[in-house]
Amino acid sequence: MPTDETLSRRGLLQRTAAAPMIVPASVLGLAGATPPSDRVTLGGLGIGSRGTRDLQSFLAQSDVRFLAICDVRNERREAVKSMADKKYGNGDCSMYSEQEELWARKDIDAVLIATGDRWHAPLAIMTGNAGKDVYCEKPCSMTIAESRALAVNFQRNGRVYQAGTQRRNGINFNTAFDLARSGKLGKVHTLHAEAGPGDRWPPATTHAWLPEEPEPPKQVVDWDRWLGPAPWRPYNSQYVQGKWRGYFDFHGGGILEWGAHTVDLCQWAAGMDGTAPVEYDPKGMGSDTPYSIECRYANGLKLVIRDKGFMGLGSCAFRMEGDAGFVETADGGKVEVPADLKSQAKDATREEAGEATTRHVRDFLDCVKSRRPARANALAAAQTHIACHAAYIAFQLGRKLRFDPATDTFIGDEQANRMRSRAMRDGWRV
Amino acid sequence: MAQGQKAPAMNDPRYGAAGEIAALPEAKLIEILKDSSATFFAKAKACQRLAAVGGPSAVPALAALLPDERLSHYARTGLEPIPDPAVDDALRSALSRLKGKLLVGAINSIGVRKDAKAIDALSKLMYDRDAEVARAASAALGRIRPGA
Repeated sequence: MPTDETLSRRGLLQRTAAAPMIVPASVLGLAGATPPSDRVTLGGLGIGSRGTRDLQSFLAQSDVRFLAICDVRNERREAVKSMADKKYGNGDCSMYSEQEELWARKDIDAVLIATGDRWHAPLAIMTGNAGKDVYCEKPCSMTIAESRALAVNFQRNGRVYQAGTQRRNGINFNTAFDLARSGKLGKVHTLHAEAGPGDRWPPATTHAWLPEEPEPPKQVVDWDRWLGPAPWRPYNSQYVQGKWRGYFDFHGGGILEWGAHTVDLCQWAAGMDGTAPVEYDPKGMGSDTPYSIECRYANGLKLVIRDKGFMGLGSCAFRMEGDAGFVETADGGKVEVPADLKSQAKDATREEAGEATTRHVRDFLDCVKSRRPARANALAAAQTHIACHAAYIAFQLGRKLRFDPATDTFIGDEQANRMRSRAMRDGWRV
Repeated sequence: MAQGQKAPAMNDPRYGAAGEIAALPEAKLIEILKDSSATFFAKAKACQRLAAVGGPSAVPALAALLPDERLSHYARTGLEPIPDPAVDDALRSALSRLKGKLLVGAINSIGVRKDAKAIDALSKLMYDRDAEVARAASAALGRIRPGA
């Protein structure tokens, strides 16, 4: 019986490129199954709660075979293996604690990365450079410099990258884009992106450390590898149990948390995937909420990143305003427009709106096969994150900043330029 | 307060919590780096703050921590963004004194800063017996001279 490894899509493609081969009908999927030659083999890096949601979407696809999980936490390795083995009715899912072991698996085509934010860019880059396609959760980077490195590396290595910004494939968000692009809103002059509500996702992060607790054995939690490129600090179990958000060393705060989605929608809707705003003007400083950062693109288009003032349609609200009308939508699925445009804007049901992740995963898998750039490709993700980081830097400094997207440089502000990158811990680089 | 934070945050008996250290002027932050009684926490926070406010006068105190196993990365955190050639001099000078992962870190920082004066030293390190060092030197040279 051939193993998955010997009959992987990658392996078959390599062999058939060299010589024609005759394979049994079952291998070609004539019995109704997806043939191995059309199957995408997947590995996982750091699958926690959000990653589990992603993985469920992957496992639901008939042309995906999940082969291995790598995680620094033993309980997560076991949980993900259990999930995959249950799905396939076997015990084949491999478990690794070091990513290099996963990268060495030549039978794995693509990798789902859902670690904490500190690892996203370096792991995505290294995984892509190891020859794997990458679906990586957001926020995709910790700094402007990491964002640029992400785009540059994937342009060089030619791998498919999809950021976990699934709203790009959300039905109601797509309806809003179509409406704007049809010209029904007139000339679009302002975009609005909801940042994480300050009372839930404060924009500012803290430099504090939690008290030291005894470090678990490495095989239970590899604390050094959990930290990865982030600065070393003493172990505390709260971090590894998912409560790492809000700490400067691990998280970009509320602007990155939701801006990764909503600024991303604005960038895409505006056709700005290759650039970023040139001005960032923070308002309402001094408290967690309300606040906003008013941004402007080089062509005069305004982007307002704010945590309040939307129509209550759900989380991750997104709004476009033109001189002939507006459209606003959010995770609830409803698409609000002026009365004269009602017939043009069909609401998505909550269930349909909730299918964004599955549609986004499908888009990624189709691109793995076609080798087309995914809808949330590395360049698009990089530019979105550069805009979000620039906004967060303006927020931290409390002053208006001017930015040159061609050089990723703030104009005439040395302190802001210092905040574009962070030294990575010894041994890690992008 | 960070998400879900329940336990009290760490602080230094003399210099206080992270927020208090971040509010100190550059001279006081440098003093922390030189204070043998200051905790690892206080020195780490001082290094991070110097990344934002440090100038040439902070470079010697930061560079002195490059051989410190626990603080070397924090020292580089402080040094990397300081827009002064004294940082490049300090990192280049450290290349002959550091080994292993600390040397790799210094090489990475030189690459980030694109210090062309380090090309000769990095060219030699590209053939170091330590493969990690050799790889880091190669990557740094690639950043300094893209396409070379």
